[in-house]
Amino acid sequence: MLEKTLQAGSIPTLEAMMRFTGQRQRLLAHNVANLTTPSFQAVDVSPRAFQKVLGEAVAERRGRNGGVNGPLRMESTREVRVGRDGALALEPLRGTRGVGGVLLHDRNDRDVERLMQSMTENYGVYRVASDLMRSRVGVLRTAISQRVA
Amino acid sequence: MFGSLDISTSGMIAQRVRLTAASANIAGANVVEDQWGNYAPYLRREVVLAAGDPSASSGDGRGLGVHVREVYKNENALRERYDPSSKHADANGYVVGPDISTFAEQVDAMEASRAYEANVAAAEVTKAMLAQALRMIA
Repeated sequence: MLEKTLQAGSIPTLEAMMRFTGQRQRLLAHNVANLTTPSFQAVDVSPRAFQKVLGEAVAERRGRNGGVNGPLRMESTREVRVGRDGALALEPLRGTRGVGGVLLHDRNDRDVERLMQSMTENYGVYRVASDLMRSRVGVLRTAISQRVA
Repeated sequence: MFGSLDISTSGMIAQRVRLTAASANIAGANVVEDQWGNYAPYLRREVVLAAGDPSASSGDGRGLGVHVREVYKNENALRERYDPSSKHADANGYVVGPDISTFAEQVDAMEASRAYEANVAAAEVTKAMLAQALRMIA
């Protein structure tokens, strides 16, 4: 019963979004930490590709029972591996950026502005997902308190 | 997400080491003797950074982040200066001392402190995300 409650409505989708943005934050922090490391090439995964996979999973779930409840079955991609418990492991593709490393004397392809923009956007998405999740948890709490009282 | 904090911390540590090396280099720019008064010109300290952080507390943080691979003394960073009054001068009046440009060191220090700030900003974002996750159930 609890599983059904925790997989109701938008909760699985929000959970996947929070997992993805949480994991991507690690990659972005890694890029910032290596701003001055010689020959370092920035790593990242494509949020757009993830959103596409997430969208397909949401459509598939909707097809099953109208999206009322049930787990989200996401396909693994080359960059995002989906674990059995829904955990996401990000494996960024390396060396995909064209001109990286030729401009700076230490052959690092740093781009602080773009990096900070990505971090802000990533945090924004995390924030939206967690705020929505909070309201879902609030609904659950209200339901539980009604029953106890 | 604690892994993200580990990563940003590794960046701060690496930049702090760079800053320390730059300060030491500026301080030692004219040093030609060791603490016992023997002739030993100061050698420029150079910090080598490499990706990955073997000392991270979580397995998550170990593969990512940055670490100081080594701080080495550059044996070639020496140059001759004309100072016939020095007791270390050779027959022609030249003393071999450290070859350190204080300007270059200052630029290096500035870069390190900006990179440090960038890591602090990244850690702040991670902290905000953690607080946000906590608020969800509070």
